[in-house]
Amino acid sequence: MAIFKIDEVRKTFTNGEVKEEILKGINLSLREGEITALVGASGSGKSTLLTIAAGLQPASDGQVIFEGTNMINMSPEQVRKIRASKFGFVFQFAHLVPFLTVEEQLMLMLDVSDSKLKKQEQKKEVDKILKLVEMDHRKNAYPSSLSGGEKQRVAIARAIIHKPKVLFADEPTASLDSKRSKDVMMLIRNLTKTLNITTLMVTHDEEMLSYVDSIVKMSDGQVLQNVV
Amino acid sequence: MNIAWKEIKKNKVRFSILGSIVFLVSLLTFIISGLANGLSQDNAALIKDLPNGQFYMNKDADENYNLSRIDSSTQDKMLNKQNDAVALSIQMGFLNDEAGKQQSVAFVTSTDSKLFQNVKKGEIVLDRSMEKDGIKIGDTLTNNQYSGKFIVKGFVDQKKYSHAPVAYISMEDYKEIYRVDEMQMIFVPGGDSTQAVAGLQSFSNKEFLNTISSYKAEQMSLNMIVWFLVVISGMLFAIFFYMMNVQKIGLYGILKAIGVKTSALFKMMWTQMVFITVIALVLSVTLSQVFNMIAPEGMPFSLTPETTVQLSIVFLIIGFIGATLSGLQIKKVEPLQAIQQGEV
Repeated sequence: MAIFKIDEVRKTFTNGEVKEEILKGINLSLREGEITALVGASGSGKSTLLTIAAGLQPASDGQVIFEGTNMINMSPEQVRKIRASKFGFVFQFAHLVPFLTVEEQLMLMLDVSDSKLKKQEQKKEVDKILKLVEMDHRKNAYPSSLSGGEKQRVAIARAIIHKPKVLFADEPTASLDSKRSKDVMMLIRNLTKTLNITTLMVTHDEEMLSYVDSIVKMSDGQVLQNVV
Repeated sequence: MNIAWKEIKKNKVRFSILGSIVFLVSLLTFIISGLANGLSQDNAALIKDLPNGQFYMNKDADENYNLSRIDSSTQDKMLNKQNDAVALSIQMGFLNDEAGKQQSVAFVTSTDSKLFQNVKKGEIVLDRSMEKDGIKIGDTLTNNQYSGKFIVKGFVDQKKYSHAPVAYISMEDYKEIYRVDEMQMIFVPGGDSTQAVAGLQSFSNKEFLNTISSYKAEQMSLNMIVWFLVVISGMLFAIFFYMMNVQKIGLYGILKAIGVKTSALFKMMWTQMVFITVIALVLSVTLSQVFNMIAPEGMPFSLTPETTVQLSIVFLIIGFIGATLSGLQIKKVEPLQAIQQGEV
């Protein structure tokens, strides 16, 4: 079932008097429990599309329909609430909060998402997710003492701790070596299936495409091919 | 989750540096303020301890009480009209003790009043600082312009004028020393500026203090230093928080991206500002009060709890404004920009 629909989305940037259309009417549907990969050359518009879908920047035109509501018409506060409670984010870099331990990073996300769980239940949930990403043994560690792969695992745990409906991953393996990249992709795939999350991912690494359910190839702001 | 506190805990050195600067600036402000108050007391405790009211001087005196003369009919009229009104005169002069040692004093005389010491001819009541200089009750003191001798009848606390101890003498003796027949001023307790008297100019207590040229100049300089320090501390807050915020732009962007409210980020910054300022102020207030207690006898230092609380509140407000101004950039942070910048 399609939970997320992108309909005729356009994005134009104006640089002085020059107008540049980065997205030229994109249509896309994302289904529950599936990973969709956006691939394409640099400048093809895949990251712009992901950030518009994630509510991190507005579209110039078109509709981004999540759970039946067009996010384009929402106020910034409504979009923020959706980002906090229904979306999860994994970026190229882990972007962990440097002064919080692994456990606290996840507790913060539960706070931000207005989790109804009590403190003790939150801690249990954190333990469960950390076990899932195999980071339970480092729960009291600060980001500065973690390896790149470990940081990305924590970032993934932070992205799913509040049980989001959609996970946005922008080149999640770009800063990792081949083995760690595969581990992270396997983890994202397992979580997507286990927790029935809808995942939209940007990648330029063709090796990672074996872990996804559908591939959307983009070029020059348009969808060239949608392979399921 | 209190992320403000967690950041302080993890970055103790950074926050300690900011705290120590606030501590040093506030301590310096308290000390200078204590000195300003102390000098103010030393300069004009005689006037400052009076209740609010109006001073009346001769209009021709050009706001200089030394030149003021109130004619006796006006004086009688005013004193009859208001029971607690008092006519007084103040002049700087000298007293010689039995060993011939000369000491500068402010001679004060007045008509019958509860506000001033009323002494009989040949008697003198002195500020207690002179007791510390070795003068005792019963001692005899002389003045070059006075034919007789003054017998010390007692001491009063904290009565200074123009940095000299006050010496209360009788009107008769005063008139003999200064060869005058009239009093310089009339003080009407509780009076206000609407009570105009022909030929006289009225001054509130504060306005009268400012006619003492040494008082005005001294207090103006010291108060200027105090307020400069307050402004500097506000700027320090703004600069430090600005620097810290610039370093944390990426972090703020990521926190915004995952859904943290901008207001929560401001609260985080304010919590840190209040925490640092309160600790710094507690330390500086404690130290300045210790200094208040151990300050050398002769040092005019007076830091009242009211002044301390007032300055502390000003520091908190100025810190809040400084931090908020520098924090306006948080509002402008775009999550996308932070994500594209790379690792926090």
